Amino acid sequence: MKLLSSIRRQRSLLNCAPISARQLADRPMRSAISRADGSAEFVDQQNFDRAVARVVRLIAIPAESAEWFSEKDLVPISKRTWKKTLRNPAVLAISIAVAVIAGVFVFNFVSHLNDFPGSATARKLLGVAASTRPVVLDPVNAEAGTLSDLFFMKHGLEHYDVPAEFSDFATIGCRVFEDDESRRIAQIWVSEKRMQFFLFPAERDSKSGAVMGFPGWRYVHQEGWTGAVTEHSGVCFMAAVRGRDSDLEPYLKPADK
Amino acid sequence: MLGDSRKAQDVFHATLREAAVRAARGELPAEQFWLFRDARWRCLEATKSDLQPESVEMDERDVAPEAESQIQRLDPMQLAIWISAAPDPQRSALALFYLDEFDYREILDIADLKLSELSRFLAKGRRQLQAWLDSKFPQPSKV
Repeated sequence: MKLLSSIRRQRSLLNCAPISARQLADRPMRSAISRADGSAEFVDQQNFDRAVARVVRLIAIPAESAEWFSEKDLVPISKRTWKKTLRNPAVLAISIAVAVIAGVFVFNFVSHLNDFPGSATARKLLGVAASTRPVVLDPVNAEAGTLSDLFFMKHGLEHYDVPAEFSDFATIGCRVFEDDESRRIAQIWVSEKRMQFFLFPAERDSKSGAVMGFPGWRYVHQEGWTGAVTEHSGVCFMAAVRGRDSDLEPYLKPADK
Repeated sequence: MLGDSRKAQDVFHATLREAAVRAARGELPAEQFWLFRDARWRCLEATKSDLQPESVEMDERDVAPEAESQIQRLDPMQLAIWISAAPDPQRSALALFYLDEFDYREILDIADLKLSELSRFLAKGRRQLQAWLDSKFPQPSKV
């Protein structure tokens, strides 16, 4: 009984077999066709249906109705506005990601815009300045300009000279230490605005060993501290102060003149 | 479905008008083929007042291998009239099937038919059409 019903259903499906392959989406239909494929009766039926469908396609549609099926859209497709596009979650997410990446890129670019040979060391020393307590320095009561002799005599440091702009300031203390790259750094604490001076070897070209100098004063910033750096005879001098460029500018101006 | 281009045009416009009104009110049905079903009912309504075909038993012949060449000789309008003269729901079944735009499940949905009914109408339609073709374009008898 079940077999009979299955055969009947298959026969029904074959009678409704699609004319063109694009309507062939149904699995039972595909299965019924594959079983009947090649039989003369089914081939005749398919040829018959295709021929009728071809003639049906030639039936004239009234001109007035045909206008509705012209190439023009019945309902104009709404153009995607910028607002709509921007509200799309995917576009929004990508935009934010691109903005963040661009922000990081710009930040890196701007922060390295004023880079100069030795700027990385100068930034590290600003970190040292922020964490230094007066007790770690040897107390010295002299003008900053006179300490170059001390550095030379006691530590063998040549050209560790405080520039003329800062040489008159009274010193509270000083020390010489080695940084993580075993470079010898001189640190001086002066009473003026609780400024700190650092003297450290200028960067050298890794191939030629030549000093990579730069003209004038350059600013570096780190954790609320600002440093003004200059290079002279292979030694960099940095005046560091907690504040902004404007806190150091008055001291540097006479040198510009 | 109607075998009359003027009536077909009226039905077409009335269907579209109704769809536009519903769309404007935001009352478009969620079902997929409502527009086609609506158009079909309008066609049936439009033919109610016409002269109805007599319910005579039409000749039936099995589909012949030569049918393709006979069909090619048919005038499209003649075929349209022949289909429109069939009693409904056979008419709907034939019209929707030979439009070749819907698969059999969609036709069942639009015309409210069962698979066995659609199958029967199509098989019967083919045999009747073959008989009509044979009477219109007689094949030379084979010896």
